Amino acid sequence: MTATREAVVLPLAFLTVALFGGLEPGAADPWAPPSLFALVLAVMIIAALVRSGTVDPERLLRGSRSSLENANGLVVLVALLVASAQVLNMLTPRSGLPALIVGFVLFVLLMNTLVMSPDRPRLLRSFAVVTSSAFVLKFVILGALADPDGGRTKRVLLALFDAATLGTITQAPLPASAGYIAFAIVVLFLVAVALLPSAEHRLPRLLESGERAIVRTES
Amino acid sequence: MKATQCARDGYNRRVREKAIRVGGLVMTLIYASAIAWTYSRQPASVAQLTGGLAAQVGAYRIDQRSFADGLAFFKRDQFEEARSAFSRADPAERDARTQFYLAYTCYRQGWGRLYNDDALFAAGLTYVEKAIALAPSGRLVLDDAGLQMRSPDELRAELQAGLERDLSDLNPMRVLRQRK
Repeated sequence: MTATREAVVLPLAFLTVALFGGLEPGAADPWAPPSLFALVLAVMIIAALVRSGTVDPERLLRGSRSSLENANGLVVLVALLVASAQVLNMLTPRSGLPALIVGFVLFVLLMNTLVMSPDRPRLLRSFAVVTSSAFVLKFVILGALADPDGGRTKRVLLALFDAATLGTITQAPLPASAGYIAFAIVVLFLVAVALLPSAEHRLPRLLESGERAIVRTES
Repeated sequence: MKATQCARDGYNRRVREKAIRVGGLVMTLIYASAIAWTYSRQPASVAQLTGGLAAQVGAYRIDQRSFADGLAFFKRDQFEEARSAFSRADPAERDARTQFYLAYTCYRQGWGRLYNDDALFAAGLTYVEKAIALAPSGRLVLDDAGLQMRSPDELRAELQAGLERDLSDLNPMRVLRQRK
């Protein structure tokens, strides 16, 4: 992994996710910190990433590295934790039954991932599916149910739906920008996770640097 | 010759990598501080965000021309216009003096001989609380002869008293009181 990726690209990407992941446009307090439950799920994400080899902590923090390099590595890990918490917080509905169900499903899925210990490509695919499903549920399906615009028929149907579900499903309306911001944040998060130093690349990297050293000595 | 060149390249690469790492660390710390600030202050608009960050490094300035316009409107009892001009002067809501004048416009417009406008008094209270929070050590004294209350503390007490409901509201002598 290059110094630029470790010291600049990854921290800035994860911090951007951490910043905008908590943005709720139109709310009285538009910057929402992650909930405690999101932090717990974020720790489970880190564990899953480490077990699958998607991130190799030893390539970020180890005794043979200089203090500066270890500081860069620590920043990446902390930023990854905060960004994971914010992404999960952002994708979880704010209230009612959907918040409970999505929270429970995410917990079970992450627990299952930890038990299964998938490899890096499978974990990345699994993450992409989980985050995109949660995104569609909150910002497309629940967002459409909470949308105050529309004709009389739609409003009557929504009122009937609200009454049938005892108001446990309907969420507060989301501004249109919220969905677009969330989409960009999820994509940025997945790209940044894919860029993390993985365990799979440790050996080839070592060989590559060894080869370079041989070439340099010979010349 | 080649060995010297090679050693120099290696040295340059190490220096460049160190510079990238130090620069990245500094940039990340600044960015993280800005994020922490954003979450603690909860800016609701881009103007508040940029103004607040500028104020952190002492680079924030209000628009003096709009402030002067606001003051002129205020002295002519054109409170709606004054509020508009003051808000334009301090879009980030980071200047204690401007927030104080905004609170004062709410007080003067909302004040009534028989009853006060609760909505305006509540808005005034929000502005004056902001002025107190922004003033150094919470203390601000204005040198304006046209004001009877020159500190946010006096104005806050007046606004709070105006919002309270008690038996003194029924005192007929209330009609003789003067607006400050």
